[in-house]
Amino acid sequence: MIATALAILAALGVGAALTWVLERLFWQPGSEPGPAHIAEIGRNLDIVNSDRWLLPAGPVVALAGVALAMVVVPFGPGLIGRDLRIGVFYVIVVIDFVVLGLALAGWGTDTPDAVEACYRIIAQLVAYVVPLGLAYVGVIMMARSLSTVAIVEAQNGLWFVVLQPIGFVLYLVTGLMQSYRAPFLEPFAVSIGGGVLGACGGWSALLWRIALAGVLFLVAAIGAVLYLGGPNGPVLPGWVWMIIKTYGLMALMLGLGRTVRPLSTASMLALSWKILIPLGLLNVLLVGGFILLGIGPSRP
Amino acid sequence: MSEAFEIVAFGISAFIAIAGALGMATTMSMFRSGIFLMSSFIGVAGLFILLTADLIGLLQIMMYIGGFLVMILFMVMVMHDPGGAMMAGMDMAFVERWFSKGLVPREPPHSGHSDMHADHGQEQRAHDRQSHAMPQSNAGDHRGHSVHHDEHADDDDQSMQDMDDSGHEGHAAHHGNDKSGMDMGGMDMSMVTPVRPAAAWLAGAIGVVLVSMLLLRPTWRVVNAMPDPDSARRIGQLLMEKYMIAFEGAGFLILIGIFGAVLLARPTIYPDDASRRARVAVDKKPEPIAAEGLVPLAVPDKQAGQHEPHQSEEHGA
Amino acid sequence: MIVPLTAYLIVGAILFAIGVYTVIAQRAAVMILMGIEVLLNAIGLNIIAFWRFTAPTDYSAQIFAILIITIGAIEMAIGLALVMLLYRQRQTVEVDAYAELKR
Repeated sequence: MIATALAILAALGVGAALTWVLERLFWQPGSEPGPAHIAEIGRNLDIVNSDRWLLPAGPVVALAGVALAMVVVPFGPGLIGRDLRIGVFYVIVVIDFVVLGLALAGWGTDTPDAVEACYRIIAQLVAYVVPLGLAYVGVIMMARSLSTVAIVEAQNGLWFVVLQPIGFVLYLVTGLMQSYRAPFLEPFAVSIGGGVLGACGGWSALLWRIALAGVLFLVAAIGAVLYLGGPNGPVLPGWVWMIIKTYGLMALMLGLGRTVRPLSTASMLALSWKILIPLGLLNVLLVGGFILLGIGPSRP
Repeated sequence: MSEAFEIVAFGISAFIAIAGALGMATTMSMFRSGIFLMSSFIGVAGLFILLTADLIGLLQIMMYIGGFLVMILFMVMVMHDPGGAMMAGMDMAFVERWFSKGLVPREPPHSGHSDMHADHGQEQRAHDRQSHAMPQSNAGDHRGHSVHHDEHADDDDQSMQDMDDSGHEGHAAHHGNDKSGMDMGGMDMSMVTPVRPAAAWLAGAIGVVLVSMLLLRPTWRVVNAMPDPDSARRIGQLLMEKYMIAFEGAGFLILIGIFGAVLLARPTIYPDDASRRARVAVDKKPEPIAAEGLVPLAVPDKQAGQHEPHQSEEHGA
Repeated sequence: MIVPLTAYLIVGAILFAIGVYTVIAQRAAVMILMGIEVLLNAIGLNIIAFWRFTAPTDYSAQIFAILIITIGAIEMAIGLALVMLLYRQRQTVEVDAYAELKR
C-alpha cells in the first residue's frame, strides 16, 4: 500500500514536471501566462492580514485532491493504484478538492486580488461542472461501467472518440476550464495579479505549481482513458501509449486554447449554459440511439 | 490490521464530523463556518464509506463541496461581516473562542481607538481572554471537559456520553455567567441571537436524551451479511426499476426547484426601490477592482459610514 | 464490523443536537439553512448505519439517502433564492427583520 502511494506520488511529480515543460513550449511571449508561470518559488512572502489556518491549508488540500485522483488512472495493464468500481465518479468528486483549495487560499490571503480570484474560481466551478458530467455520461453509458479499467477494455475495438465526437469536443472545452488553461484563465489573470499565485511563496508556491500542473496532466490522462482508449495500442508497451496519448491530448488542448481570446467568467457561464449543456444533452441522446441500434462495444 | 484500521478510521471520521459541526455552530466567521460545515460533511462521508456505502459517500462529497462553495459565495456577498471582524466586543464561550482563533477582530465602535493596527487588535484580544479567564476560573472544570469533548470525540460510548453531557452543560453555564455579568452591548452585531444559552441547554438536553436512550436500549438485531461490493450497480437497477417513480419525482422536484429559484431571484415586474437600485447597479459598468481595493480591516467605521450615503445618492440620481 | 451500531448512532445524535442548537441560536438566514443541512446529514447517517447493520442486502436505504441529499440540495437552492429576494427588499439577512412575515 505504501509502495503504491509512493509510486503514485512519483508519477504525479514526473507528470507535473513534464506538463510544465510542455506548457513552456506552448507559451508565446505576450500572451497571458495563466496558472503556469507566476508562482515564484524563491520568494518569501509575509502577508499581514492572512488567515493562519486557511492560507496554508489551500495548496495542501489541492495537492491532496490531485494525488487522490491519480489513484484510479490506469497507466498500463496492471499499472493502476486501485481499480475502484466507481472510478470515474471518484475522479469527478476528488478533483473538486482543487477548487476547494484554491477558494480557501484565495479567501485566506485576504488581499483584494486573491478574494476576487476566489469568487472567480467558484463561478468557474459552476460553469464547468454540469457539462463535464455530461461529457463523462456518454462514455459511461457505452462502457456500462464506472471503472476506468472497464472503460479501457470497452475500447479494445474502437475508440470512443470516433463514436462520440461531440462528447470529445465537450471534454476538451470543459477540461480546459477545469484546469484553468488558456481561454479560461480568468482566476489567474494578470489583471488581478495572478490571483492566488500572486500571493504565495516558498513551499506553497512549489505545491501550487505541482497541483496546477498535475490537474492539467490528470485531465489529459482521464481524457485519454475516456476517449482515446487509454493504454491500448499495438507494438509499444501500454505505458508508452498512455504517455503518448496523454501528452498528445494535452498539446492539442493547449494549442487549441491559444487560438481563442481569453473569456471572462460571465461569458464562460453563458458559454456553459447556452452551448455546452445543450451539446452535452445532444451527445447523451445520440449515444442512447447508438446503444439502441447496437453500435458500439459488444455487450457481455 | 483491518480491525485496528477500522477503529482508527471511525475515530478520525467521527471526530471530523462532530468537530466540524461544532465549529460551524460556534465560529464567528461566516466563511470559516461554511468551511467547517464542509469538513463535517466530509467526515460523515468517511463514515458512509466505512459503512460500505461508498457511492453515497462520494455523492455527499460532490454535492456539498460544490454546493457549499456557492453558498459561501452568497454569504460573502450578502453578509455585513462574513470574516468575523466584529466579534471583538463579544462575550464568547470557550468553544467559540477556540474555533474563532486566528481571526483578526475589529475594535468595537464605542472604545474610542480610531487608528488601530491589526496586531494591536490581536494583543487586545489576548488580553481580553486573560481577563476573562481570571474571574471565571471556577468554571474551569467545565471548560476542561469541553476541551476533552473536542479532542476525544471518538472515545467509547460511556465516557462519550459524559463528555457530551458536561460539555454542553459547561457551554450553557458559561453563557449564563456572561449574560448576567456583562452588558449586551456588542450583541447586536453578532451572528447569534440572545437566546443562545437557552438553545445550548435545549440542544444539550436533546443530545443527552438521545444518547442515553441509545445506550439504555438493548442492542438491535444485527445481521452479519456482507453487502455486494459493487453496490453502485445494484442501486442503479433499483432506481430504474423499483423506485422509478421516486427517482422521477426527485427529478421533477429538482426541475420545480430550479424554476422556483429563478422565479424568486428574478427582478420583479413591479420593482421596489431596493431592487430597482440593484438593477441600476448591475447595469452600470463596474469600477476596476485593482484600483478600488477592499477597505482594510483596521480602518475605523467612520469612513465606511461616509461612503455609503454618497453611493446611494448616486444611485438615486 | 468491529465498531458497533450504537457508536454510529451516537455520532448521529450528537450531530442532531448541534444542528438544533444552530437552527435556534443563529441569527442569519443562511446559517439557519446550514443548521438544517446538519440535521438532514444526521438523519442520513442513521439511515445508512441501520442499513449496514440490520438489512445489508436491501439497497432501498441507499436510495432513501440519495433522496435526502437531493432534497437537501433543493432546499438550499430555494432557501438561497428566498434569502436573496428578502435581502433585496430589506437589505438584511437577519431573520429578526423578517418577523412581519408571520402576520
